[in-house]
Order: sequence, then C-alpha cells, then structure tokens
Amino acid sequence: MGAAPASRDVTSYGMGLAAPLALFFLVFFVAPLLQLLWLSLHNDTVGLHWGLGQYLHFLTDPFSLGVLGSTLLLGAEVTAVCLVLGFPIAWLYQRVGPKLQTIIILIVLLPLLTSVVVRTFAWIVILGRQGIINATLQSLGIIDTPLKLLYTQFGVVIALAQVQMPLMTLPLITALGRIDPNLDDASCSLGAGSWRTFFRIVLPLSLPGVIAGCTLTYAAAITAFITQSLIGGGQMLFMPMYLYQQASTLQNWPFAAAISIIFLLAVLAVVSVFTTIGRMSRGYGDA
Amino acid sequence: MIMNRRSLLTTALTLGAMKAFPGLSYAQARPLVFATFTGSWEEAHKAVLVPAFRKANADAAMVLDPMLSVDQIAKVNAAKSNPPIDVMLHDPGPALVAIGQDLVEPYPVEKSAYYKDLIAEAQEPMGPAPFFQVVGLTYNPEAVKTPPTSWADLWKPEFKGRVGITNLNSTLGTGWLVEIAKMRGGSEANVDPGFKALEELKPNLAAVAANPGALATLFQQGQIDISPGNFNAIQILKARGVPVEFVAPKEGAIAFKTTIHIVKNSPNRELAFKLIEAALTPEVQTTLMNPPYLIVPTNSRVTMGGEIARVLAKDTAELKKKFVFQDWKKINEQRSAWIERFNREIKI
Repeated sequence: MGAAPASRDVTSYGMGLAAPLALFFLVFFVAPLLQLLWLSLHNDTVGLHWGLGQYLHFLTDPFSLGVLGSTLLLGAEVTAVCLVLGFPIAWLYQRVGPKLQTIIILIVLLPLLTSVVVRTFAWIVILGRQGIINATLQSLGIIDTPLKLLYTQFGVVIALAQVQMPLMTLPLITALGRIDPNLDDASCSLGAGSWRTFFRIVLPLSLPGVIAGCTLTYAAAITAFITQSLIGGGQMLFMPMYLYQQASTLQNWPFAAAISIIFLLAVLAVVSVFTTIGRMSRGYGDA
Repeated sequence: MIMNRRSLLTTALTLGAMKAFPGLSYAQARPLVFATFTGSWEEAHKAVLVPAFRKANADAAMVLDPMLSVDQIAKVNAAKSNPPIDVMLHDPGPALVAIGQDLVEPYPVEKSAYYKDLIAEAQEPMGPAPFFQVVGLTYNPEAVKTPPTSWADLWKPEFKGRVGITNLNSTLGTGWLVEIAKMRGGSEANVDPGFKALEELKPNLAAVAANPGALATLFQQGQIDISPGNFNAIQILKARGVPVEFVAPKEGAIAFKTTIHIVKNSPNRELAFKLIEAALTPEVQTTLMNPPYLIVPTNSRVTMGGEIARVLAKDTAELKKKFVFQDWKKINEQRSAWIERFNREIKI
C-alpha cells in the first residue's frame, strides 16, 4: 500500500484474541436474548400477534409488581447482611499472620466447593421445626413452641447470605489488600481514632471492592432459584419462580419472556446504580 | 493449495465443532429414544422395562433420556418433522397439551396384544396408561396416633400448624385442589369451594412446598405431620426409615394416568410401538409392582400383591371403586387462572 508501514500504535491492543469468546457470546447469549425479546413482544402464546400486551399486563398488575418489588428488596437485604458480616472477615484477613490467612481463605472458599443444593438442604435442617436452632433454644428453655424459621423471609435472607457470602468476601479481601498499611499508621499518628481512620481512610479506599462485592452478591441473590424455592416454599413468590411457573407449568412463553426482560432491566438498573456510586468513589479514593 | 492463517483457523474451528457436536455432521439412523421421568421412574425403567424390551426385540438399541414432561414437549415442538424423542411419558395435564399440539400419534390399538387387557380407564387411544400414580393422605404415625380417614381430617383443629400442601405447579397440587372442591360441592369446572376450603385451612398450614419432592422432605424435618402425598414418593421415604404412612381417604384416592405416547414423525415408529407393548405386558407390570418400585399396574391380568394390595386395592374391581379419576381436559381449561389465584390468595 503506502510507503513504510507506520510504527505500531503501542497504546491500542488488537481485539483478535477476544474474538472466539465474542463469537461464542454472540451465538449463545446475544442471539437467544434477542429471540426472548422478540417472543415477549407478542400478545398470544403461539407468537403470531405483535403487541406490548405482556408488558402492559405485568406493569399494570399490582401483584406482579409486588413480586418484582419483593425480589429486589430480598436482594438488598441479603447484600446488606453479607456486607456487614463479610467486611470484618476481610479486614481481619489483612491483619493476621499467613497461617491464619490460609485458614480464613479456606473457610471463605469452602462453601463454594459444595453444591448450592447441598448448602440449601443444610439450612433446611438448621431452620426446621426440629432443627438445630429450635432444638437448642428449646433445650435452654428460652422458647416453648418451636419458632417458624423455615418458609419465612428471614430464613431466605439468612440462607442466601451464607450461600452467597464468598462473592462478597473475596472482592473485599482483594480491595483491602491494595490499601497501603502505612496510611493507617499515618492517620493514627496524625491523631485520628480507629473509627475515624476506618471511616475516612479504609472504607473509602475499599469502595471499589465493596461495589464489586455488592453487585455480585445482589445479582446472585435475586436469581437464586433453588435457595429461594426450597427455603421460601411455594407461597413466597419471587421473580425466578414466577418466571418458571409461567414458562414451564403454564407454557405461557411470551409472558415469561416479558417477565425475564423486565427482570433483566430492573437488575441492570440496580447494577448501574452500584457502578455510578463506584465511579463517584473513584475520584474520592484518588484524592 | 494455499494455506493461510484464516483458512487454517476455519478448518480447525469446523473440526472442533464437529467433534463437540457430532449431531451437526450426520443425521443418521439413531437408536430409539424414550423420554422417561427423572428419579425413581428412570431407575425402574432402566432396571425392568429396558431389559424386557431388548430381550423381546433382538437387543434393539435404545436410549433413556429422562426429562420433565414440559421439556419433552418443548424439545419435540422445536423439531416436529424430525423429533429427537420417539416415546414420551406424560402426566394427564401435559398429555393433553401434547395431543392438542399434534405431537403424538394414535396408538395402533388393533395391532396391540395387551391394550384390550388394560382396565377401561387406562385405555387411551392417543397413548395408553401403563402406570397409575396415586395421591392420598400421608402422615407421620409417630405424631398422628389415629390414622386419618378423610381429606376433611386436614381441617381438624389438632393439626394446627402441622399440615403441608404444594402449590398448583404440580399435578399433585392441582388434582388435590379439585378433589377438595368436589368434596365441598364443586367440580373440575368450579373450584371456588376448593379455594374457600383452602382459606379455612390456613391456620393449619405449616408449609406450602414448591413441589411434591420438597413436600416429602418436610416429613423428614418434622416440619409437617400430615399432607396429601404421592404413594410412590412415600414408599421411597419409608424405605429410608422416615416415619411416614399412606392411606387412601374414604372419598377415594386420586389416580393420575401416566400415559405413554408414540411421537409423531418418529423415525423409529415400529420400535416405539414395541417398547410401549413391553410396558403393557403383565410381566413387566408385575415386576414393577413389587418392591422396591411399587408402581400401580393397569393391566387387569396382573394380580395385585404386597404393599399395593395392602394399602390400595386387592384387585382391579376394588381399584376402580377406590380410585377417583379426574377430567383433566376441563382442569387444563382453567388451570392457569387457578395458579394465578393461588399465587395471590395463599399467603401464610
């Protein structure tokens, strides 16, 4: 073509290596998603008449909106529990010797090595009427009749928090590890108390990890079909079960498709709120 | 031939894809595929039905591909002209859907040696019923000293907070609601009385399980003491040492026909017919009736024995008297509305 080839621009990278994965995503993720969208835009179950009827049905139905709301709320509760319980573990991890670090990381990772079904069944055993909690409380004479823990919102939140905990703890451990320990000492030597150091130094600098952990936990908690249905039971309806019911039992695919699209958009909205906070915090962290 | 990077990559990708998805390259004659249900059904069919079929048909190749009814329908629907399944197994609701969507062939009744021996309720021209599923009352004998005798016992005040049910996603849940409605003057077309009865049951409800499997495990956890339950699911729990008993209520145990169908356009039509014939033989049904399977037979030539004779029926005459069959055509018409209503009204 021209004269000498221009020297390679070192600030840009070829995208070639990402192509196989991109192609895989295009065929097995984007295409089905488009098909889902196409299906959701039909008013009849066979997919002949175009229209927004399914969306209208969902968005004007207080019951369906209630299901969406309670699912998003469930995610928020689980994320809050994971953050409050997970942060101290991650903080501790950065301040103990290597031996204890190994033990902590093992404890954090251990749940990931067993299947979700097994972990959920363990919670049925723990929360049941004759489960560990009720048996202990009864033998201590604190309660007379067993508490109802299984098939309650409380039970679902606790079980999901345990099941999804590693997704919160691991990003937090990474984020806290990146903070220069000298900053702590500097803050102390300049007269700040430990709480002030935590809120002014550690927490802001760890925000990227908090955001990543919250996003992962949130997304995993609201879509956790198995834990939700086994611990929550058949009368607590969350979006994944609602979706399953419409698609599988009722064969109403267009409505199920509309539910998934709405659910997807709602989750994207929540995740984008998280990332916006993350972006704002980045400026703060650099300062 | 010029070999450049791009053509090399294309070739490699193609070869890789053919390796990963062998079905891509050659659509050839395949073995008979029978889509049974997962779990104990698969076990029973693998151990009894498949060997019996192969013995009678010169070791013909066949594959069990266990999946739910709805998945069977979806898979056949996706490739109607060249279906990946030859024989389908269905609960009454999905069976009508499959027939309604024109996915199954009429059973060649005149060619069949066993069809005429089936009890009348099992003779379905679009696909006979080789087995029944039976739903009755399940209870924990350690907590419930006097065995229940009627569906109405679930409403007794002594069972406050001890009753379990499933939602209407399952055949069991829907069939049970219809039976409750009938008990209170309703029918397959009118389940209003059933919903009213459910409202009154709320103080007694300890759990609404997401599916029958989850319901059964609640006995293990002591979460519930009494519930409507599937005869076979209870036998499995009992065999594991869980304290559960099954009784047929005096209103009659609900019987679901599990029907077996030849898929339309199946390339293995003849073998599919032979497999279904094998499932209808008195020999196969007798073996499946004995422990550990305890599957209720439909061939009137099978002599009832064991647990089935003790708990359910000694012979086909008694079976007919004690079993209640429901009109699933009517049920399917309104089922989605009921599921919606159940979603809204049943909160405990």
